[in-house]
Amino acid sequence: MKAEHVNSFYVAAQDVFKLMLDLDVKRGELSLVNGLAPSKDANIMLGIVGDLEGAVSFSFPKEMALEMVKIMAGMEMDNIDVFVSSALGEVANIIGGNAITNLSNYDIKCDITPPQIIIGKHKSISIVSENVLVIPMNTDIGMFDMSIFL
Amino acid sequence: MMWKEKYSIGVETIDEQHKELFKNLGEFIKLVQNKEIKWEDRLNKAKETLEFLQGYVIFHFEDEEKYQESINYPDLEIHREAHKNFKAGIHEYVEIFAEGGFTEDKMQEFSAKLMTWLIMHVGKMDQKIGEYVRSKGAEE
Repeated sequence: MKAEHVNSFYVAAQDVFKLMLDLDVKRGELSLVNGLAPSKDANIMLGIVGDLEGAVSFSFPKEMALEMVKIMAGMEMDNIDVFVSSALGEVANIIGGNAITNLSNYDIKCDITPPQIIIGKHKSISIVSENVLVIPMNTDIGMFDMSIFL
Repeated sequence: MMWKEKYSIGVETIDEQHKELFKNLGEFIKLVQNKEIKWEDRLNKAKETLEFLQGYVIFHFEDEEKYQESINYPDLEIHREAHKNFKAGIHEYVEIFAEGGFTEDKMQEFSAKLMTWLIMHVGKMDQKIGEYVRSKGAEE
């Protein structure tokens, strides 16, 4: 996993959060873990295929997930229903799409697979077992994890 | 209120149409999310709003493309392609609704996606029209 690969996703997340949610994103301390497991209340996974193969996941705590959708919809959300999870899935999808565009600047061609949305923490579901890079992302409305496996 | 001032591109007719789109989408979402009323009792109104939105998106895209033509907008083809993809995204759901019925879950899913697509399209792609108009204004 090269720095430019990871950075393509990080920059995409920053851009999309700024544009769609008016939020700045700052990354915390990176860590390597085994297994890409749904670690928070709302988890979105995207597969990556092409020159790079792997997956990226976004894990949001409930309060943050609801606040994100509130910012976009302009109305209160009280639980993670289909509306909220679909909106989060699409935000993740857009971040993935932007990351793919960023990667193409390094002559890397890949694609993303449709978002898989997993609601609730399921530590037992593990998509891959190799080293997964977890990037904690801090915003004014909470912290979420972006995990990358390539 | 879904509309944000930062979505303005500075071209009045387009901004007004965007406001109308966000307003109607906001009402659609409010209706789809109003779980205090049974879905069967919200369904007809939801279908009606959906139909209006669908028609309005097409009307607006055509109008916006005409405007882009009138100002010799250089990225017209790219923009037309984005409109085409946006409409295809809507059409996909129109087919899902036609086949599987207008379930509350599918309506929630569709309204959420439409919201993100509209925010991205107006917040990013359409901003470039405004930038072009301003750059032309500065030249004259």
